Amino acid sequence: MRNLGRNLLLFAASALFLAYVLAPVAWLVSSSVQQESEITSRPPQWIPRQPTLENFEAIFAAEAKQVTYETRRQGDPATGGFIPSTARDLVPAMWNSLIVAVAVVVLNLVVGVPAAYAMAKIRFIGRSGSIYFMLSTRVIPDIALVVPFFLFIHKLGLLDHLGSLIITYLAITVPFTVFILVSYFESLPDELDKAARVDGCSRLQTLLRVYVPLATPSLVAVVLFTFLTSWNEFLLALMFTQTQASQTMPIVVAAFTSDFTISFSFINAAGVIAVIPPVVLAVVFERYIVSGLTAGAVKG
Amino acid sequence: MARITLDSVGKRYPNGFVALEDLSLAIADKEFLVLLGPSGCGKSTTLNLIAGLEDVTAGSLYFDDVLMNVVPVHRRDVAMVFQSYALYPHKSVYENIAFGLRMRGHPRAEIEERVKHAARRLEIEPLLERRPHQLSGGQRQRVALGRALVRQPAVFLMDEPLSNLDAALRIAMRAEIKQLHHTMRTTFVYVTHDQAEALTLAERIVVMREGVIQQIGSPEEIYDRPRNTFVASFLGNPPINYLEGALAGDGAGMRFERGALRLALPPALAQPLRGQAGRPVRLGLRAEDVDERGAPRAGETLQGRVFSVLPVGSDQYLGLESEGTQLFFRVGRDVRHREGDNLALSVNTNRVQVFDSSSGASLLWR
Repeated sequence: MRNLGRNLLLFAASALFLAYVLAPVAWLVSSSVQQESEITSRPPQWIPRQPTLENFEAIFAAEAKQVTYETRRQGDPATGGFIPSTARDLVPAMWNSLIVAVAVVVLNLVVGVPAAYAMAKIRFIGRSGSIYFMLSTRVIPDIALVVPFFLFIHKLGLLDHLGSLIITYLAITVPFTVFILVSYFESLPDELDKAARVDGCSRLQTLLRVYVPLATPSLVAVVLFTFLTSWNEFLLALMFTQTQASQTMPIVVAAFTSDFTISFSFINAAGVIAVIPPVVLAVVFERYIVSGLTAGAVKG
Repeated sequence: MARITLDSVGKRYPNGFVALEDLSLAIADKEFLVLLGPSGCGKSTTLNLIAGLEDVTAGSLYFDDVLMNVVPVHRRDVAMVFQSYALYPHKSVYENIAFGLRMRGHPRAEIEERVKHAARRLEIEPLLERRPHQLSGGQRQRVALGRALVRQPAVFLMDEPLSNLDAALRIAMRAEIKQLHHTMRTTFVYVTHDQAEALTLAERIVVMREGVIQQIGSPEEIYDRPRNTFVASFLGNPPINYLEGALAGDGAGMRFERGALRLALPPALAQPLRGQAGRPVRLGLRAEDVDERGAPRAGETLQGRVFSVLPVGSDQYLGLESEGTQLFFRVGRDVRHREGDNLALSVNTNRVQVFDSSSGASLLWR
């Protein structure tokens, strides 16, 4: 009986937690296929009465449209007849986000994997100091770094350029990448490193032929973490980008809320599109995620 | 084929810790040399220096007459077996064994030939497609040996390769490693903290302590003529017994005295001790060098009271309290004693050791 009570309690708690986490997402998805009138109706409709994809059509059609205050009424019924004046930026922003995120992921691996291997397996002077130094840079909140970053990017002539985002996102993500990988590489026995070198591997070959294949779970964790960080980043992108040339999804979507008129259905459809890449990544790598995030505990 | 020479080799870590100090050692070609000592004595460090896995920070290391100090590990013709086996978890047994040859660019056909041959030799042929996690400890050990021997290296290094095996398997593998050395005819350097392993395998043993060599010699020399109490204590099971006392005697003969105990030293042992009557010494008495059947004779008798009886199957360990010291002896299984019995044992005085009381250095062998 006590067990049953305990299980019921756990079940209720889990259900509550799930509802707390999933309800906003469910509302986002549901409202993205509702008409504007349905979204704003009271009580709200969790299950759309007449699901429609017109919001998504409007997003992909928006690129061709020049919207001004006078022409904002484009007659799309789904969006209540209004689309935001910056709607045409949305599709280019998706590409920008994707390019930045992929570049940040790739560069993180290129820089982070060798750095983490060196810190985990090579005894050099200043080894532990360099780990602490890298991590300590992450104690500073991003907002405090905005001004120095801005001056730096300005001097490089990279304002409103994707390069500005790639550089600053690397500064944010590389320390975490190295930290995750160092703890994983440290959990792999030193003797593996020695065995590979006795077998004729150089340091780089040891890394590529022995450690990288064994580190898949933590590499997946790194890929997810860095992708999501740069995909979601808002503050720095807001500072460094101004036009279609470099604006990312979060900036463009956020701008929809401060237009002449607000179309909730349009915003929510854009939100759904923004959520798709991270969800795809999570599904693809699902079986590695838990083991990767608990890397330190993995036995070698 | 390689002769290995360590000339005043030192190893100091960046944090200031000195693992080895001024170590000189000549390892003959095709020799089976065992580095023996407690953990932290520098034996594994020595092995890593020979392999090139760590840098020599003082002195010189030669293979034959070639200076190896800065030659990277993959350019040295060495193979190594590790305590944890260190098999690559993501590779099959075949790939594990072949990896070293592959990295050195041997042709595919030759690699296959050599891997198959090594696998046959170690009786692991049916396992070639498996992954390490599907193997037992003994099988992993064989794969690790295979990975090393397939390379036919000039120097074969082993770092406590049997420590993770259970007792029965360990004995069988000892025989196999000895056999391997006979057929490979190459230089073996073997690190262990297990004295039994050292005594069974080695042609020469190097006993180390805190980065300093204590004694180099054949297993018999090390066991019968320990240079100091550290070496004497490290070998033997149960460990050697010590009795503090003093030398006594005149020109004719020397005695060891402690309280009522009088042990006459035979002439061969008395010779180097001549003229040192009165000197405080520590007498070393190995557990097996007593006999309780022969009639006790004067000058060879140790009296005491039994305080513990520990049967270990083949024989038994007898705890004897004598002259205020607790001693352990190994006696036959058929002897029946109970705690509290008074006992007189006859001591094989030809085999006792005499050490300086304060320094622990042997007064018999130097």
